[in-house]
Amino acid sequence: MEALILEPSLYTVKAILILDNDGDRLFAKYYDDTYPSVKEQKAFEKNIFNKTHRTDSEIALLEGLTVVYKSSIDLYFYVIGSSYENELMLMAVLNCLFDSLSQMLRKNVEKRALLENMEGLFLAVDEIVDGGVILESDPQQVVHRVALRGEDVPLTEQTVSQVYLFSLHPPSGLEFFWNFPN
Amino acid sequence: MIKKFDKKDEESGSGSNPFRHLEKSAVLQEARIFNETPINPRRCLHILTKILYLLNQGEHFGTTEATEAFFAMTRLFQSNDQTLRRMCYLTIKEMATISEDVIIVTSSLTKDMTGKEDVYRGPAIRALCRITDGTMLQAIERYMKQAIVDKVSSVSSSALVSSLHMMKISYDVVKRWVNEAQEAASSDNIMVQYHALGVLYHLKKSDRLAVSKMLNKFTKSGLKSQFAYCMLIRIASRLLKENEEGHESPVFDFIESCLRNKHEMVIYEAASAIIHLPNCTARELAPAVSVLQLFCSSPKPALRYAAVRTLNK
Repeated sequence: MEALILEPSLYTVKAILILDNDGDRLFAKYYDDTYPSVKEQKAFEKNIFNKTHRTDSEIALLEGLTVVYKSSIDLYFYVIGSSYENELMLMAVLNCLFDSLSQMLRKNVEKRALLENMEGLFLAVDEIVDGGVILESDPQQVVHRVALRGEDVPLTEQTVSQVYLFSLHPPSGLEFFWNFPN
Repeated sequence: MIKKFDKKDEESGSGSNPFRHLEKSAVLQEARIFNETPINPRRCLHILTKILYLLNQGEHFGTTEATEAFFAMTRLFQSNDQTLRRMCYLTIKEMATISEDVIIVTSSLTKDMTGKEDVYRGPAIRALCRITDGTMLQAIERYMKQAIVDKVSSVSSSALVSSLHMMKISYDVVKRWVNEAQEAASSDNIMVQYHALGVLYHLKKSDRLAVSKMLNKFTKSGLKSQFAYCMLIRIASRLLKENEEGHESPVFDFIESCLRNKHEMVIYEAASAIIHLPNCTARELAPAVSVLQLFCSSPKPALRYAAVRTLNK
């Protein structure tokens, strides 16, 4: 096999996918044109689901791409990169996503909880990968930046999860102070 | 009628799927409440989430309806609800290519990126750069340069990554920010280091001597970021292959030294790089091979897989 001159690049992630128990798309973000149409994307998703949902290993080479994955209860998480990508780097992205969501969903990483927190998911992914570049790898940072807070809402009106999240990860900045009554 | 159905879903708490049977036209109809005052943040957030969900599912939006929805969304900037604002940024990014006249949000985004709320600044920068063209980029150049060297790591990272994307649109403008990127590279934050290094490399990659100097500087000063190290190793091995240097060079020594890095990601990258170098002697390959063999018995499947794959080459 010829030695390849890999072009060093910050663009490392091709896609992030979350599928349900039936292999249907709950969330998908494609960062390049590997699968340009929705039809091709869904075909790809079906294919990787079929090849991975019964196995326990976290990593595979499918359709010429490196696929790292993790499942939880009724959800399947995938991070996709080229076959030349550093597999551990892709795992770092997967773990960051999974751990962030785990904190945000209070360890309930399952379909129902995820659907009730779609905005959190959208914002979390946006903080982890931007245009195919890994933006953040620390789940604590991601959770902090997503911090789902509204305007100055009295403590009694906040949802339990908002207060809980806050007490777990008090931000270091000024934001901490206005959210709690004196 | 749709409203009542939704309310029942939320109140029953039985966990029914809030996105089942979503209908695009119904959701867009709901989006008209964005124009009402006062703005109800939670209601608007829910509708915006549904729009993004539909887009995410691959639902097609025509230009007219996308533009209408986009314009309605811009009204939501009047609210100070943080989550709502963040979702607006996301909507801007998602609709940037399907709606017309997206540049109307430029001034709002510029305001947020230079404002006091740190939680807005990074995301506002990234949204702004998604809708910016070459002319506009020059207009915000000053803010971008400030953001790159900002002390808040999320702001710096957002600016650096956006600069990278902007090279495709206006390379000449971004090239002027090389000093700021250089300064950002000395950050303690592991992601900022990685992003700064990436930007610097992309700016200098056509000049082999410049790349060589940059590599030299970073290998001496030492970085903390495992991501930056992986990038450096790739830059180093590319340099070795291009220069067809012998393996007595300090560049090779650097890659070899990475086999002793504390991060597995870096060790693996170094071993992989050495294996792929042409004309490696058995003696040079040996440490890389033994590291990979160790990985083969790791409890982590990804590590075993990666090691086995690389050893097969």
